[in-house]
Amino acid sequence: MSRRHIRNILLKEWALLFTDPNSAFMVTLLPLLIVGQVILYIWLAFRFGAEGMLSAQVFQTALQKLVEAVPGVGQLPGEEQLLVLLLSQVNFFLLLIPTMIAMSVATFSIVDEKLSGSLEALLATPVKTRDLLLGKALAGAIPALVATWISAGVFLLVVWAVGWGEFIGFVVTARWFLTLFLLTPAVAILSFMLGVTGSSRAKDARGAQNIALVIIFPVFALIGIQITGIVWFTPLLILVLALAIGIAAFASLRAAVRLFRRESIVVQWR
Amino acid sequence: MLLKRSRQEVQASMAIIETSGLSRHFGKTAAVEDLTLTVEAGEILGFLGPNGAGKTTTIRMLAGMIAPTKGYAVVAGHRTDRDVEQLHEVVGILTETPGFYSRLSAKRNLEYFAGFYSSIESPSKQVEKYLRLIGLWERCNDRVGTFSKGMKHRLALVRALVHEPKVLFLDEPTAGLDPKAGAEVREMIHRLGREGHTIFLSTHNLNEAEILCNRIAVIHSRLLALDTPEQLRRRFFRRQIIVQLEVLDAKLAEVVKKLPFVQEAREEENQLILELTDSERNRPELVQAIVEAGGRVISVTEKQYPLEEVYLRLVHEESGNES
Repeated sequence: MSRRHIRNILLKEWALLFTDPNSAFMVTLLPLLIVGQVILYIWLAFRFGAEGMLSAQVFQTALQKLVEAVPGVGQLPGEEQLLVLLLSQVNFFLLLIPTMIAMSVATFSIVDEKLSGSLEALLATPVKTRDLLLGKALAGAIPALVATWISAGVFLLVVWAVGWGEFIGFVVTARWFLTLFLLTPAVAILSFMLGVTGSSRAKDARGAQNIALVIIFPVFALIGIQITGIVWFTPLLILVLALAIGIAAFASLRAAVRLFRRESIVVQWR
Repeated sequence: MLLKRSRQEVQASMAIIETSGLSRHFGKTAAVEDLTLTVEAGEILGFLGPNGAGKTTTIRMLAGMIAPTKGYAVVAGHRTDRDVEQLHEVVGILTETPGFYSRLSAKRNLEYFAGFYSSIESPSKQVEKYLRLIGLWERCNDRVGTFSKGMKHRLALVRALVHEPKVLFLDEPTAGLDPKAGAEVREMIHRLGREGHTIFLSTHNLNEAEILCNRIAVIHSRLLALDTPEQLRRRFFRRQIIVQLEVLDAKLAEVVKKLPFVQEAREEENQLILELTDSERNRPELVQAIVEAGGRVISVTEKQYPLEEVYLRLVHEESGNES
C-alpha cells in the first residue's frame, strides 16, 4: 500500500468533490436537511401522535427495551418516555448520511473516469488497484463521516434549542457514542467500498445507480429493526455489529480489487 | 525542415523494445498475431496500419496495460506481462483520448498524474518545467475544460512525458487536430526524438510517419513490413532519375538510351525518366554525356514515390493473401 498514492488520490478527489455543485450539496446541505427532517417528524409525532403511538404494541415493546437499557427513563411520564425513544433512534437515522452520500458520489467515481477517458491514463501510471479503490472510497467516506458527526452535533444543539435539553442525558449514552464513532465509520467505509466496486463494474451511470440501491437497503432494514424494537441495539451489540461491518468493509476491498478488471476497462471503454 | 536522427546514430545504441511472437486474441478474433520486432533506444518507430489492424492493442500490450495471449514483449528491460508496475515507471503513453478532469486546472491535473511516479520528487516543479516547455505555463491555473482540443493533446503529451520515460508510446497523437495544432504536436515529437527519446508512434498520417520516423512498421494483425521509408519504397519501386532538359529531341534521347549504365529510359515532354545501374555514381557521367551531346540540363532529381503508395500496396497484398 502506498500512502503517497492514496494521499494523491484523496486530494484530487476532494478537489473534484468540492468543485461539483451536486456533490458539494450532497456532502454539506443534505446531511443538515436529513437532521432537520428527523427533528420535524419527532416534534410532529410527539405533539400530535403521542397518544396513539403509546398505545401501539410495537412502541410499547421498544419502550420496554429502552427502560431496561436506561432505567432513568422509567421515571419519566409516558409521553416523555416516547420522546426519549424517538430521540434515541436518531443515531441510526444518521447512518443514512454516509450511505446516501456514497450512493451519489462513490457510484460515479469510476464510471465518470471511464467516460472521460482519464481512467485509461490513470491505469498507465504505477498506481495499484488497491490504492486506487481505497483512495476513492476514503475520499468519499471521510467527508461523509465528518458531515455525519457535524450533523449529530447540530441535532443535539437543536434538541437543546427546542427545549428538550433535559433529555439529552438519556440520549447521549455509550450507545450513541459507539454508533457514531464505530458503527458509522464502518458503515461509511463499507458503503463507499460497495459504491466504488459497483462503479467499477457498471457499464454506465444508470447501472452504477442501480447497484447503489444495494447499499441503502440494509441501512433502512437496520433503522426499521431499531424503531420497532425487534432488536434493541445494546452497546455490546453495536460493538459486534461495527466489527462485523468493519470486517465486511475489509473483505469488500479485497473483493473489489479482484473484481476490478483493468484489461476490460482499458479494452471496452474508448 | 525537421531533421531526424540518422539510422546510424540510432543503431549505435541497443534494443529497448523486443517482442517475440506477440499475439492478442479477443475471443476468436486475432487483434495482433505473431508480432516479432525490435526497436533500438533513441529510435522513432512509426506504426502504421488500417483501422482495426491491432495498433492500439499492440501499444497497450507494450505499455503493460493488457496481457498478450501468446508470445512476450520486453520493454526497457521489463517483461510487459510480469513487471507491470516497474514497467509503468519507465514508459509513458499518450492514449487516443486525452482524458483529463475538466474541472481541475492544467497544473493540478498534471500534478495528480505525476504524483504516482516514484522518480518524481517534486511533481509541481516537474509539471512547471514541462508546462513552460510546451508554452502552456501562462494558462496553468485555467480549468482544462476551457482548453482547445490541440491544447489538451499537448497537455496529454506532457502527462506521458512528465516522468521522463525511457519509452514513449503515442497512439495517434495528431488525430482530429486542425493543421496548426497537428503541426505543434509534430514539432514536439520531433524535438523529443532529437533529444534521444525512444518513441513508438502509431499514426494514420503517412506524411507524419515519413517526416518523424527512422523506421516504419506496417501491420494488419501481422507485421507486413518493417524498414526505413526509403527501403520500403525500394521494395516496390526501382529508383528512377528524372532529367529535366531545356529541349529534348530524338537524337539526344537515343544518345542517352545507348549509355551502358542506362537500364530503362522513357521520355515525357522535356523529361527523361531513367533507371541507372547505380543511380548515385552514374549521375555525373550521365550529365556529362548529355552536355557533350548538346543537351542543356535544368535539373536532375530522383523520382519520389509517396509512402502512401507503398503502404497501400502492402495492405492490398495482405488483403489479397487473406481472400
